[in-house]
Amino acid sequence: MSGKIKSMIDAIIAQRSKGNPTVAKAVETKLILKGIDPGDFTAASPDDPAVMEKLQAMAEQFGVSL
Amino acid sequence: MKAAYTTEKNPEKAAAAIFEQLSETAPRMVLFFASSEYDPEALSREMQGAFTDCPTVGCTTAGEIVSGRMLKGAVTAMGFSASTLVDARVQLVRDLSGPGGVEAAFKNFAAHFGTPMAQLDPMTHIGIILIDGLSGAEERIMEHIGDMTNIQFIGGSAGDDLKLKASHVFADGAAHSGAAVLALLKPGVAFDTIKTQSFQETGRELTATEVDEGRREVIRFNGRPASQVYAEAVGAAPDAASERFMHNPVGLMAGGEPYVRSPQQIIGDRIKFYCNVKEGMTLSLLESTDIVADTRKAIVDKKAEMGDLRGIVNFHCILRTLELEDKGLTDAYGKLFSHIPTVGFSTYGEQYIGHINQTSTMLVFGK
Repeated sequence: MSGKIKSMIDAIIAQRSKGNPTVAKAVETKLILKGIDPGDFTAASPDDPAVMEKLQAMAEQFGVSL
Repeated sequence: MKAAYTTEKNPEKAAAAIFEQLSETAPRMVLFFASSEYDPEALSREMQGAFTDCPTVGCTTAGEIVSGRMLKGAVTAMGFSASTLVDARVQLVRDLSGPGGVEAAFKNFAAHFGTPMAQLDPMTHIGIILIDGLSGAEERIMEHIGDMTNIQFIGGSAGDDLKLKASHVFADGAAHSGAAVLALLKPGVAFDTIKTQSFQETGRELTATEVDEGRREVIRFNGRPASQVYAEAVGAAPDAASERFMHNPVGLMAGGEPYVRSPQQIIGDRIKFYCNVKEGMTLSLLESTDIVADTRKAIVDKKAEMGDLRGIVNFHCILRTLELEDKGLTDAYGKLFSHIPTVGFSTYGEQYIGHINQTSTMLVFGK
C-alpha cells in the first residue's frame, strides 16, 4: 500500500492552514522541525507504519483529526 | 515608534534617561534590552517605575543594538506608540518544563483579546518571545507555541555577555531566570518578519543517525562518529574540526532556506550543538557568506515589499556579532539600521517558528 503518508501530511497542513498559504508554509516548516519533511513523500511513498505513527502523534499535537 | 539608548550605569538614572527619550511617544509598550552589567532586578523595577502607564518587557543581552550602532554595556529600548500598537498583552511563563506554562499564558491572551489562540488571525497579530538563553528549553517552548497557534512568535534567547552564568527576562517590573516572556501584539500598522542568515549550501549532507536530543548532542552522522564525519566533510583534521564551526555550521533545509544548527564543541566523538538535532534529520553543511551584504539585501527587499519601514526589532545571534567583531564590521552592520528606528540585542539563540542559531530574526513595522 502507498500514499497514506502524503494524505496525512496534506490533511494536517490543510486543516491547520484553512487555505492560508503563509500559514501552510509555516506548518510545513513545523513538520520539518518535528522531524518529518513533507517533500520526502509522494502519493507513491510506501505506507511506513513508523512514519504514520509519528504523523498521528503530530496531528494530535496540532489539534487536528485525521 | 521610537528607539532610545543609554550607557548610564545607575539603573534609576538609566531608566530616567530612557523615559526622557521615549515619553513624548506616550508608549503603549516599552521593549528594552540591557547588558548583564546592570542589576537585572533593579533595572526592571526602575523601568516599570518610570513607565507607569504601560507594560515594560525585555531581557539581558550579549550586546545591544540601536539605530545605527552596536553597543556594549548599554540599555536600548523601543517605545511603541498607540498608533503603532493597537493592543498588547504580556505574560510571564515561569514553567518551561512542559506545555502548561504556555497554555496558561494563552488562556490569558484569549481572555484579553476575546478569541482563542487557535483561532486568532496571524495576519493581524504577532508575538514576541524572550526566553532565558541558558534554560535549554527553547525548542520545547517553541514547539508548544507552534502546536497551539498559527500566530507567529519571533524573538531571542537572553544573554549575559558571554559569562554563561545567568540570563534574565524582564516583566512586571521584575527579572526572572528560567522563564520566558511572551508579548502578544495587535499592531496598528503593517508588520512582517525577516529571517536572514549568511550561509550557502556546500552540497554535502550529514544525516544524524544517533543523537542525545536532551543534551543537544549528535553522536553519529551517517552511521559513524559525528566528529569524524564532520571533520571529513569540512576537510579538516579531527583535532582542528572545531575551528571550522563558525564558518561551517549545518542547516535543516525548509523551503529552500537553512534553519541553522551551530556546533558548539566536540565531546569525545560527539558534537554538541547550540540547538537540538532530531534523529534521522538530514542536515546540509553550510559555508558562511557576507553578513553585512546579506542583511542589507534583506532590508532592501523588505522595503520593496512594504514601503518605508517604521521600525525594526532585531534578534541577532551572538555568533554573528563575534564574526562581525572579528572582521571589524560592527560599525558597518550598525549603519545598516541608521535610518530606521531599531532596537535589538545579541542573543544566545533566535526564535522563528523553531529555535535556530547564527541568524537574525527581525520584527518589522511598516507605514
